[in-house]
Amino acid sequence: MIRTERFSAIKALTGLLPALVMALALVFAGRVHAAEKVKIGVLHSLSGTMAISETSLRDVVLMAVEEINASGGVLGRQIEPVVVDPASNWPLFAEKAKELITKEKVAVTFGCWTSVSRKSVLPVFEQYNALLFYPVQYEGEEQSLNVFYTGATPNQQLIPAARYMMDELGMKKFYLLGTDYVFPRTANKVLKAYLKSRGVPDENIIEEYTPFHHQDYQTIVARIKKFGASGDACVLSTINGDSNVPFYKEFANQGLTADDIPIMAFSVAEDELRAMDVPPLVGHLAAWNYFQSIDTPENRKFVKNFKEYCKRNNLPGGYNRVTDDPIEAAYFGVYVWKAAVEKAGSFDVDKVRQAVYGLEFDAPGGRKKMHENNQHTLKPVYIGEIMKNGQFRIIYKTKGLVSPEPYSRYLHPDGNIPEPTGGPKKK
Amino acid sequence: MFKRVFKRGVFYRTGVILLLQAIWLFCALSARADDDVIRADMLRLAHADPAVRREAVTALARTGDQRLEEFLESYRMGSIYIWKDRPVLCEKTVMDEEMNELAPLSDPLTRRPLMNNGRQVVVPVEELTGISPTRRERRLAGRAKFLLRLSSPDAGMRLSGAKKAGDPPGITEAAGLLMKLSENDPDRKVRYTARESLLLLRLNERATEDRLAAVRELGEMKSMRALPRLRELLREVTGGDPEAGGLAARPLRTARGLVRSHGAPAPDSAEHVYRQAIRKIEIHQGFVDYFGSMFQGFSLGSILILMGLGLAITFGLMGVINMAHGELMMIGAYTTFEIQRLVGHTPDNPSDWYYVLALPAAFLSSALAGYLIEVLVVRHLYRRPVESLLATWGVGLILIQLVRLRYGDNIGVNAPSWARGGIEIMQDIVLPYGRCFIIALCAFCVLLIYYLMKRTGLGLRMRATMQNRDMAASLGVNTGRVDRYTFAFGSGIAGIAGYAWTLIGGVTPDMGQTNFIVDSFLVVVTGGVGELLGVVFSGLGIGVLTKVLEPAAIGSFTVGAIWAKVLLLLVIVTFIQFKPAGLFAPRGRLADE
Repeated sequence: MIRTERFSAIKALTGLLPALVMALALVFAGRVHAAEKVKIGVLHSLSGTMAISETSLRDVVLMAVEEINASGGVLGRQIEPVVVDPASNWPLFAEKAKELITKEKVAVTFGCWTSVSRKSVLPVFEQYNALLFYPVQYEGEEQSLNVFYTGATPNQQLIPAARYMMDELGMKKFYLLGTDYVFPRTANKVLKAYLKSRGVPDENIIEEYTPFHHQDYQTIVARIKKFGASGDACVLSTINGDSNVPFYKEFANQGLTADDIPIMAFSVAEDELRAMDVPPLVGHLAAWNYFQSIDTPENRKFVKNFKEYCKRNNLPGGYNRVTDDPIEAAYFGVYVWKAAVEKAGSFDVDKVRQAVYGLEFDAPGGRKKMHENNQHTLKPVYIGEIMKNGQFRIIYKTKGLVSPEPYSRYLHPDGNIPEPTGGPKKK
Repeated sequence: MFKRVFKRGVFYRTGVILLLQAIWLFCALSARADDDVIRADMLRLAHADPAVRREAVTALARTGDQRLEEFLESYRMGSIYIWKDRPVLCEKTVMDEEMNELAPLSDPLTRRPLMNNGRQVVVPVEELTGISPTRRERRLAGRAKFLLRLSSPDAGMRLSGAKKAGDPPGITEAAGLLMKLSENDPDRKVRYTARESLLLLRLNERATEDRLAAVRELGEMKSMRALPRLRELLREVTGGDPEAGGLAARPLRTARGLVRSHGAPAPDSAEHVYRQAIRKIEIHQGFVDYFGSMFQGFSLGSILILMGLGLAITFGLMGVINMAHGELMMIGAYTTFEIQRLVGHTPDNPSDWYYVLALPAAFLSSALAGYLIEVLVVRHLYRRPVESLLATWGVGLILIQLVRLRYGDNIGVNAPSWARGGIEIMQDIVLPYGRCFIIALCAFCVLLIYYLMKRTGLGLRMRATMQNRDMAASLGVNTGRVDRYTFAFGSGIAGIAGYAWTLIGGVTPDMGQTNFIVDSFLVVVTGGVGELLGVVFSGLGIGVLTKVLEPAAIGSFTVGAIWAKVLLLLVIVTFIQFKPAGLFAPRGRLADE
């Protein structure tokens, strides 16, 4: 008897709760509308493993918002960023995305770094037909109408880098070393297919993975040393996060230099170099679509603004902060969205999406363009050599922009690629 | 007597200095003449005939003028131009008000701005003729850089040049210089590498006898660099690779008719020579691998011991499940960073003694943090282990977030310059200095703890309190104070572990949780809770076992880092099943609890 009573009380309470929340939300929404602000979501991990990289993206998105607001906002409305912390917890990414879309009613979301976090939020964005700008280079094999990818596809980073190693440096043997998750695994699949298409025999390719946070690279470096003893070997590294520090340290401590065996890294940018002891890394390579060292007035201004922004807001690092590829991609993503909204004259997701296609714009690293129909960005490819000051010396740059191929031709030689997913709700 | 020796020393020294100065003066004067020759060679880089251009690159490298390394790099990047029949360097252009592109010019050799009336020469871009190398020339220029290094005054540079000269495709032009280096270079390693590279180049010789002589010597030298090449050549000899042609296509004089025989190759056949050389190198390689694995195991073990030692005190002796142990290490690492910043140590301007200062600082700051944790949290939870687990976990999270707010996520501890690189104790066996230091530090800490526990009054009181608190209290030991000191001491040792870690690993706020805490408990539990010696043996055991497992290969499958971890955990779980108390089970009264 008592039991049922208590049960009904809980039931009544749970019934009331949504109503209460809705009422509150209404009041809140009303107030926002009065101020004519438009909300955007910022979905980057500010704690946990990925905080090391993602915090900078939040900072630069907020900087872009501040700039846009100072110059009059979007369609005359000020932007109100809603920052949430999914804490490097992949299921939490989906929850927070849902919260941003349904509760905060954001017009667009900027977020995610790891591919697994993107895969986790994808169903949510597709279910509600919302829009995500994803700023990091990734493995491809995906195309959702609800995402704009402002980072590189494999052919905008991996292939040019491998080609450079073969053709410019004359490398014959390749050690593919990565952290054990989806990006390195797929990236190495693409790289392997490419190398084989160029006639590199199987015994000249080694593929190896380490767990996240792996710290002891003694055995692996010894193996690389043996593999590269013949003098025509290189490492293509997709090691992610904090494992890079012990890897490079061990590499140098066992007496290997960039002259013996160069390391081409796909996940080491200026921001990661801040955490490293740089001298042992000098001469190793990285491939990106942007470097802080790009010497144009626009980029110098961007770098300076970012440093000043960090200092002004008392962010850790202050004036010593640096810009890098994902930071640039996160930054221009906000401007692409703004330009598309203004072109469409509306915040409606479907109209904005149409406006993004083929959009040309000036990014800090130079003029870029959104693809006419495949959700990705046309970007130049740079290869840089690490210098003692933690910056990159650009040693190679493609002529013009490279068109994105989300489905690598080396994995889909027949040209059959799946239809994009998501998009407007079918009625 | 002493005075005379002293005087003679001074006399010699002055003489040597004077002589050096004279040589320098002579070089400086003659350099002027050489510079013009070099500039003439630079001009030939723009010649229409590719053969002349390539010849020019080699000629430049042969001069041995070290300033040319930067020039070759600029040449590769396309920053060298011809202006009014002279080579000039222009790394980037500038725009004037009317959007004309202007090029500020520098001298390609000295890299100093070209001056005219006290101002740098700036000309419109149209006046420049570019020298843009083709891909083939760019690669040649890349190799020429190493040819140049063969005549560098720096042994490290010469070594790098000597090594690259033998690496495929080989710098044949270097043969003469390599010969000289292999005989006269003051550095043993350079002599060895130059000889090795020279022999590697000879493997491409047409005459079989020369080639086989080189093979024999490479075998004697146990040259690991030669191994892949020798295997390839052997395949060609035995016809393993019919398309490769080469030796198999032209029967050898020494081995006519014997090459393809099924039995053992004749003692002086080419195949035999190759096999002998390969065998010698392989034996050497096996030894290097074995020794390498052992050292790696000891090194990993020493790190695990350092991690475990602190925990062996706080958890093993005191029984506090201290989940903030990893964060205490993190504090040690961040203290090292803070000291580095205060001292102003940077890679460009090293103040290596910061690292000496950081050792006590890391110990003290972690000990202080441990002391505070004990006083504020742990003290109230001695009889409630589960709560102490949760509370210390919470403390850990707070510490992580505090550090993150203060420092952000990205900081770099720059190792002191003496901890970079390693010592080659035997051919091909390099022991990194950083790791040697950690092994020594680990041994020091073990001895320190042993001394403190067994030989001092404080240690006696600690052991008494841990073994029977009430009895100790009734004998007049201030057990509360002993608890605080013990906990602080264990935490301080954790700080030292974090300090040592900065030499080989990265420093992040959550390093304790992601890297340390699990391994620390693993070591302590396997070793036997309550026994310091257990930590030493289990740390070394786990370290060596990991390093033996990791490179092991079963057929074409290599165990690798991921599976090594899985296997290791399986081994430990099985071990704990049979010996739940660990390697060194506590005896006596302590075991009854």
